[in-house]
Amino acid sequence: MSFLQAVRYFFREALLNLVRSWKVSLLAILTITVSLFLGGAFLLVTGNLAESAERWRGEMRVVVYLQPDTSAAELSRLAAEARAAAGVSSVEAVSPAEARERFHQVFPGLSNLVEGWEKEPLPASLEIGLAERAARPPEVKAWLDRWRGRPEVTMIDDDREWLGQLETAVAVVRGIGLALAGGLLAAAIFIIASIIRLTAFLHHEEISIMRLVGATEFFIRGPFYAEGLLQGLIGGGLASGALYTAFRVFEERSRSTLFSSLLATEFLSPRQVAFLIVLGGIAGLLGAVVSLRRESL
Amino acid sequence: MIQFFHVAKRYPGGQTALEDLTFEIARGQFVFLTGASGAGKTTLLRLIFREEVPSDGQILVNGRNVASIPQSKIPYLRRTIGVVFQDFRLIPRKTVFENVTYLPRVLGIPLKTQKQMAYTALRRVGLAHRLNAFPPELSGGEQQRVAIARALINEPDILIADEPTGNLDPDLSREILRLFLEVNLRGTTVILATHDRDTIQRIGRRVITLDRGRLVSDLEIDGSDPPSLDPAEEPAAADPEPSPSETATAAEPAEEGT
Repeated sequence: MSFLQAVRYFFREALLNLVRSWKVSLLAILTITVSLFLGGAFLLVTGNLAESAERWRGEMRVVVYLQPDTSAAELSRLAAEARAAAGVSSVEAVSPAEARERFHQVFPGLSNLVEGWEKEPLPASLEIGLAERAARPPEVKAWLDRWRGRPEVTMIDDDREWLGQLETAVAVVRGIGLALAGGLLAAAIFIIASIIRLTAFLHHEEISIMRLVGATEFFIRGPFYAEGLLQGLIGGGLASGALYTAFRVFEERSRSTLFSSLLATEFLSPRQVAFLIVLGGIAGLLGAVVSLRRESL
Repeated sequence: MIQFFHVAKRYPGGQTALEDLTFEIARGQFVFLTGASGAGKTTLLRLIFREEVPSDGQILVNGRNVASIPQSKIPYLRRTIGVVFQDFRLIPRKTVFENVTYLPRVLGIPLKTQKQMAYTALRRVGLAHRLNAFPPELSGGEQQRVAIARALINEPDILIADEPTGNLDPDLSREILRLFLEVNLRGTTVILATHDRDTIQRIGRRVITLDRGRLVSDLEIDGSDPPSLDPAEEPAAADPEPSPSETATAAEPAEEGT
C-alpha cells in the first residue's frame, strides 16, 4: 500500500470513528475548542490592547488643566510659553467652549452632562504633544513638575503614566492568558489521549485481527493518529469560528464605547487564526501519540 | 517448510509450556497436533506465526528464522500464514465481506479486487451468498467458515487452526474438517490442533502428540473412515452455481470497504 493510500485510509477510518462514537469525540473536540477559544480571546484582547498602547504612544500628550477663570489672553500666553520649551512638539490651547464641543463629539450619548450649566463646565487646557525622543527623559518630568506647581494650573494629566501601567497590565493579562490556555490545552491533550486509548481498547479485537493477518504497526496506529489530528483541527476551527462570532457580537454591542476602541478594534490576522487551528491539530496529534506511545494496543 | 529445532518455551513465572521440541513439517502436509488441554498445542501454533517467541531453539518457517526476525518484519511473515481459532474471532459489527477482507485492505488492494477475492474465498467455504450479513446473523458453523475464508483470502502457504471445531456440533465439525482437507488438497500446508481423538482416528494423516510440553509421538496413521475428496469436485459446502443475477449481486457487495 502506498503512503498516500494509507493516509487516505487513516482519515477515512478516523472519520468513521468520529461519527460512530460522536459523543466522546465531541467531548474531545469541545475541550480543545474551549482551551483554544480562551487562548485566542486573550491573544485578541492583548493584541488589541498592545496595539492601542502603541498607537497612543505615537499620539502621546500631556494635558495641563487650567483654573476655571483663566482668560483667553492668559491661555495664549501660557501656550506660547509651553511651545518654547525643549522637547515639546506641539501645543494646542483648548478653551472651555472647545472642550465642551469635543465632549459632544466624543461622547454623543452623554451630551446632556455638559449642557445646562450657568458657567462653562469644563476648564481650559493646554494639550502638549511631546517629541518622540523627549517622551521619557527626566528633564521633561522636571519641567512638568514645575508646571504642576504653578497657580494657574489645577492638574496635569500625563498620558505616559497610565500608558506605562496599561503596558504592564497587558503583559500581565497576556501571561495569565497564556498560562490558562496552556493549562487547558494540556488538559485537552490528556482528554484526547484518554479518549483515543478508550477507542483503541474498544477496537482491540479488530486490532488483534489486523495484527494477525499481517498489518504493520504504522497501519494499525495510523487511524488513531488521524483521529487525534482531526479532533484537534476541528476544535481549532470551531474555536476560531466561535471567537470570530464573539468578536462580531461584542463589536456590534459596544460600538463607539471606550471598550470597543480598546479591545475589539481588529480580529486576529489570518496567520494567527491558522496558528490556532494548527495548534489544535498538534494538540490532538500529541494526545494520540501520548496515548499510544507505551501502549502495546 | 516448518522446522523446529530444540524449541522450548518458558514463561517468566517459571512455567514451562514447551520443552525441547524438534520436528519438521513438509510443504503440503496435513498435520494434526493433539494432546490434552495444557499440553502446549496453542503455544506451539503461536510460535509459528510469532505471537510468542521461543525461550530456546530455532524455528524456521519458509526458511526464515521466526525467533530472530525483527518486529517490523513480523507482518510480512503473517501474510503467508492463515490462522483460524476456536472462537472464530469475527468482528460482529462488520459485515462478512469486511471481516474477510482485512488482509486485502492492509495490502491496499483496490476495492473491486477485494470484492473478487472475498467472493472467491467465501465461495470456497460455501458462503458467497452471505457477503453482506453480519456475524451474529450466522450460525456457529457459518461463522467458522467465514473465519476460514478470512484465513484463505490471500492463498496462504500455511493454514493454522486451533481447535476449529471445538465450538461446533459433530455434523458441523465434519463439514469444517472437510474444508481443511480440501484446502490441503490444493497445496496449502495445514496444521490443525485438536484434542478430538475420534476425528483424528477417523480421518488419519500425520499426528503429532504433545504431553506437558513434550513431543511424545509423531505418527502417520490411516483413517478408519476418511472422507472422499476429489480435487476436481466443487467443495461439498460450496454454494450451488449461482444464477447470473446472483453473481452480479455477489460480485458487487456493499460499498463500505473498511
